[in-house]
Amino acid sequence: MIRTIVIGVPLFFAFLITASFLNELTLASKKKNEMIISLAGDPQNFNPIQSTDTTSSAISGNIFDGLLKYDENLELAPELAQSWTISQTSTFFFTTPTAAAHALATLKANSAKWPLLHIIHASLQNRCVIVSLSVPGYSDSNAIASLISPLPITVFRANLTTASARKALAAARTAAATQTFASSLLPEKNWYDYDAAYEATIVGPFAPAFGELISFHSSQGRFPASVEVVNTGHFIAEPQIDFELRRNVKWQDGAPFSARDVTFTFRSIMDENVHSPRKADFDKVFTVEALNPYHVRITYRGLYSPALASWTMGVLPAHILEGKPASWWAVNFNRQPIGTGPFKFEEWKTNEYVRLSKNPLYFDVPPWLDGITYRIIPDALTQRLAFETRQVDFLQVDPWSVKSNQKNPNYQLYSTPGGAYGYIGWNLRNPIFQDPRVRTALAHAVNIPAVVHFILYGQAIQSTGIFPPNAWYFNPKVQPYPFDPAKATALLEEAGWKKGPNGMRFKDGKPLSFTLLTPSNQEIRKDIATLVQDDLRKIGVDTKIENYEWSVFLSQHILKLDFDAVVLGWAGGGYDQYQIWSSTQTKPGLLNFVGYSNPKVDQLLEQIRQEYDRRTIIRLAGELQSTIYHDQPYLFLFVPNETTAVWKNAFRVYRPDGRGRYIDTPIIPPKAGWSYYSKWFYRPEYASRLPRPVQNPPPL
Amino acid sequence: MTAFILRRLAISAILLFFVSIVAFLIITLAPGSPYPWGDLNPKISPAVQNAFRKRFHLDQPIYKQYLLTMRDLFSGDLRSTKDDRPVLQKIAERLPATLKLNILALTLAFTFGILLGVFCVRHYGRAPDTFASLIAFILIALPSFWISYLITIALVKVFAVPILGTQSYGIAFSNDLRKWLDTFWHLALPATVLSLNGIAVQSRFIRASMAETLKEDYIRTARAKGLPEDAVFYKHALRNSIRPLVTGLGYLLPALLGGSVIVETIFAYPGIGRLGYQAVLDRDYPSLIALNFITAALVLLGNLFADLLYAVVDPRVRLE
Repeated sequence: MIRTIVIGVPLFFAFLITASFLNELTLASKKKNEMIISLAGDPQNFNPIQSTDTTSSAISGNIFDGLLKYDENLELAPELAQSWTISQTSTFFFTTPTAAAHALATLKANSAKWPLLHIIHASLQNRCVIVSLSVPGYSDSNAIASLISPLPITVFRANLTTASARKALAAARTAAATQTFASSLLPEKNWYDYDAAYEATIVGPFAPAFGELISFHSSQGRFPASVEVVNTGHFIAEPQIDFELRRNVKWQDGAPFSARDVTFTFRSIMDENVHSPRKADFDKVFTVEALNPYHVRITYRGLYSPALASWTMGVLPAHILEGKPASWWAVNFNRQPIGTGPFKFEEWKTNEYVRLSKNPLYFDVPPWLDGITYRIIPDALTQRLAFETRQVDFLQVDPWSVKSNQKNPNYQLYSTPGGAYGYIGWNLRNPIFQDPRVRTALAHAVNIPAVVHFILYGQAIQSTGIFPPNAWYFNPKVQPYPFDPAKATALLEEAGWKKGPNGMRFKDGKPLSFTLLTPSNQEIRKDIATLVQDDLRKIGVDTKIENYEWSVFLSQHILKLDFDAVVLGWAGGGYDQYQIWSSTQTKPGLLNFVGYSNPKVDQLLEQIRQEYDRRTIIRLAGELQSTIYHDQPYLFLFVPNETTAVWKNAFRVYRPDGRGRYIDTPIIPPKAGWSYYSKWFYRPEYASRLPRPVQNPPPL
Repeated sequence: MTAFILRRLAISAILLFFVSIVAFLIITLAPGSPYPWGDLNPKISPAVQNAFRKRFHLDQPIYKQYLLTMRDLFSGDLRSTKDDRPVLQKIAERLPATLKLNILALTLAFTFGILLGVFCVRHYGRAPDTFASLIAFILIALPSFWISYLITIALVKVFAVPILGTQSYGIAFSNDLRKWLDTFWHLALPATVLSLNGIAVQSRFIRASMAETLKEDYIRTARAKGLPEDAVFYKHALRNSIRPLVTGLGYLLPALLGGSVIVETIFAYPGIGRLGYQAVLDRDYPSLIALNFITAALVLLGNLFADLLYAVVDPRVRLE
């Protein structure tokens, strides 16, 4: 009896395992007209305004639509909005309504200049002249101001943080009204709530007096407030974006999409309880108004051109979410979302897969794929094995295996420079790095092509500055510094760093020596540090390497500014790089942790975010990239390639042929990231070449 | 008996309290922050960060944080900082897969372990014993990631058999049996890898314990009575040697809920190990604290359970 159990039970299990193995061997696969993509980790949630990881946004991008989208060339294109126009309202102030009427008459007398100044129309409101312009920017308004000479204005920011502080501000306002500058204050609408600080605009030469008043009344209310002048000028510029929405859009549950959803999404982002990481993108928005169910007007508090791109963010369904707290969303919506996108959510099995299916209600041509499945496969080798056996259709190829995968005749590899770059950041507070000749010397001394060759297996290009090469504002004219140890030596000699008896360089008795920090979990960065150390030793620069766990690295060194040099990288960011390069962002905890400060760059950074004209942006961005590159606050290393493998011809794309029909074409390498799967389809002829036989090829 | 259990439960509760404090401190005082948007994110305004801190009590003094966390844990309202979902719900959703995997792995470890141990004793000191012992030592020495990789590569490259997840994907199943076998296959693979070490350890355990028992006087008596060797071996020797194993079952209670990060990762198996690992990476304090608390509670319960089993199996033991 006992003997039977001791021998029988293991035998039974052995039999079961053998049987299940034989079963696996003989299973017939049934490949559907769908795409299977592997993900390294579970997505966070599918709420486009709450998720912060790329995995989540890759999936929710298929479920939700934004007002705008990026097309295949990374340009903005209409999505839920069928068109948009950008305009501007400029408000000019005068001492009396009569003066304002007079100014308006002057302006009208110059109506010949209107087209040149992009004026659409001008009107009178109390003692203000309000001018609508078809092109946003300062130059036209400045020209108008010189024509009609309005009062100077001052914009303040009062740093008040509580609701009662607002009362202090109101008290100051009331007090101000009884004083000499009685009517100089603007109506309530110009009191902006900005990140718990309040911005107020006042008109006339009374600015300092008003600042004092706010300070006084806040101290009375025991709310210490600092008052700073944000801007001065002759007008208030409020850019506007008008979105004309599509009328045939339905949510995946059948409810109609309208402007209400857009205003609700905006309110949700601004709601602090939602913890939306997108809030900063919308800080400059003043109002979002639904003028009619299909027309949304967005007014900004000032010129800020990158704001347009923020409307690519997915729009949430107001009819489901309105009035529900964020904790309700987390459980009931963020894991089973309803959007307007080409694919709708079907199922999410935690840590296993996420399934999407084709959305038959999609406003555009419905996808040709029946669905997309995201399988969560954390291990890189398992991902690769899954790709080889056609369990997944895509493989993110590591640099070291690009060459071997290229040799496989069954695979098609797509390689593009990504949107990220690696760099060595010099702490510019350190006297060694304050000399630009030293930084330039170091840039010539590090053999970047060797770094790319040995560490990234050639799968990267040398970086030429702060913008990725696939961006439309990238400046291709910036030439990378060559590897030139002789020039590096000459520059160091010129800067006064002479070789000492041990071959290392000294200046005023101090050695040219610093510590290079890397995060310990990033092998590539540790390897870079080693190669750099070797290169620098050859020209007499002594480098020590220290590795720290990521959170220690960040909290104890980067955010406290306690480092000499770091190996790091940035990804994405757009053309507005204010937070990384502005000299106002150098305090501990901010992103310009290297402490870079260049008045020319500061000015360019300010200018570019206020510029709406594409060609001017390209010019300014080019200048910005070139100036920073030649300043070398970072040693710009490389832009890694992103390589994706797909089984050859497994998928094809339908593209419009220009005559109203769609033709079957090969998939083309994307400029950044893979998307637009909705135009893809699975190719049944391909079936016979699969490792395992395919049954029932799907009808097209 | 009842008094013993009550006393032990009271001691366990006190112990659990101290364990939870230590665990809480280790988890929250470690460097890093639980912000789901990462640490160097240019887009996060201080206002959002403060609202988040307030939402998860991070603005409170540490003793208050502890009390609030425990209150939320017991009321079931403790929410993950990563996705704002109730932590218990996150754990519960991984529980069935984890239980299935661990129960099968433990079953395999015990059944095959006992079989191998018995086999060794049967051939004690002779060539088959030496060979089986060698295998046991190899199994103990094998790192689980290495053996997992070998198995997966062999299965995929040689047989083109899928190995990941809990089910094959994109398969036309002709009947339910084949579907069931497929599910079993995806469970059996990681379970086998997880059990290899256990098989070896249990076999050594049985081998040593039985070798000892076989020297006892009552075995000689049984043989002298003229009982068949099988009866002596299985009924008298094995039953008495297996006792420590049975009492050891109590200690396995926490193992049922435990996860293996490595095996779950390689086989893409959705278990608790990956939840815990991801929570460490994300600094998801609430999830870590809950997992830690549950494990500690199970260890203490397991100890109690083991003591009780001991009394049940061995009548000489009295619980007072």
